[in-house]
Amino acid sequence: MKNSIYAVAFAILFLSACKNESKQAESNDMNSKEIQEEKTIEATSQKSDLTSAIIDGYLVLKNALVNEDGKKAADGGKMMLTAFSNFDMAKLTESQHTKYMEIAESAKEHAEHIIKNPIDHQREHFEDLSKDVNDLIALVGTDKTLYQDFCPMASNNKGAIWLSETEEINNPYFGSKMLKCGSVQKQIN
Amino acid sequence: MNLYKKAILLLLIAVVGIQFMPTTRNQSNEVYETDFTKTLIVPNNVQNLLKNSCYDCHSNNTNYPWYNLIQPVSWFLENHIKEGKKELNFNEFGAYSIRMQKSKLKSVINQIKENKMPLPTYALIHKDAKLSEADKELLIRWMNKLKDSL
Repeated sequence: MKNSIYAVAFAILFLSACKNESKQAESNDMNSKEIQEEKTIEATSQKSDLTSAIIDGYLVLKNALVNEDGKKAADGGKMMLTAFSNFDMAKLTESQHTKYMEIAESAKEHAEHIIKNPIDHQREHFEDLSKDVNDLIALVGTDKTLYQDFCPMASNNKGAIWLSETEEINNPYFGSKMLKCGSVQKQIN
Repeated sequence: MNLYKKAILLLLIAVVGIQFMPTTRNQSNEVYETDFTKTLIVPNNVQNLLKNSCYDCHSNNTNYPWYNLIQPVSWFLENHIKEGKKELNFNEFGAYSIRMQKSKLKSVINQIKENKMPLPTYALIHKDAKLSEADKELLIRWMNKLKDSL
């Protein structure tokens, strides 16, 4: 009996904490948006299919993390590695080239870690990988419709973004533990 | 019985034999302009912690223990060092892109926080490489600040 009271009290506390944080996140949204836009090179939604294979791999990875499937997540990582090595750099302008190399170097390393590690560690690398893919889209563009989502509790409450093909929130950082935590920040295309 | 003796003898020969196999030692006298402590302003206490606890495997200079002269310990260490440097080399930190520097710092922070680094097996033998709770807190706080400033 006592235990169940504690459980209920804990659940209420936990839920209200999540609510507060997402409210706080809304007010912080402006700030983080500003920072993100500052970092992106040119905030456009160029139509390009150059990045399609990379994004396909990323989405497989993202959905695997939503479903707590580390093995499938590793497959997504492998798809991304292949996509990066097949990427046609000749189609980039000179100014895009340097920036692309930096993003690709970093993204490939995160993908490699995702391929060979358990899910907790995969999620750690997914944070930075999401930033890389987001910056890549800002740099090169995409012809897909994507949503940039934000979870204020990810990355030890510092908050982290991810990209999704659906408007509905399905959280890859917490999976079934907090599937609906987060909000759409921006629509791409 | 005879077979048993033969096996022992063979093993002995093998153990002695591998002592003559060459190993590459991770040592250099070069001063690296791209070193973490050269391209960034790093306080002395942080520098000391990094050199004591990380540089053996994450730089081009290892302070080898005596037992490294014995095979197969040498090989084992060589592999560790190779892997370690591939992930992060403090001597080359300044040559990484800012994106990479931030991501490496984040990984360092997480590894320290989760007690994954320095490797428990390494810290067991190198008592002075083990980070105390205060050391960990100092490193994590300092690295977080550095990461946000890059």
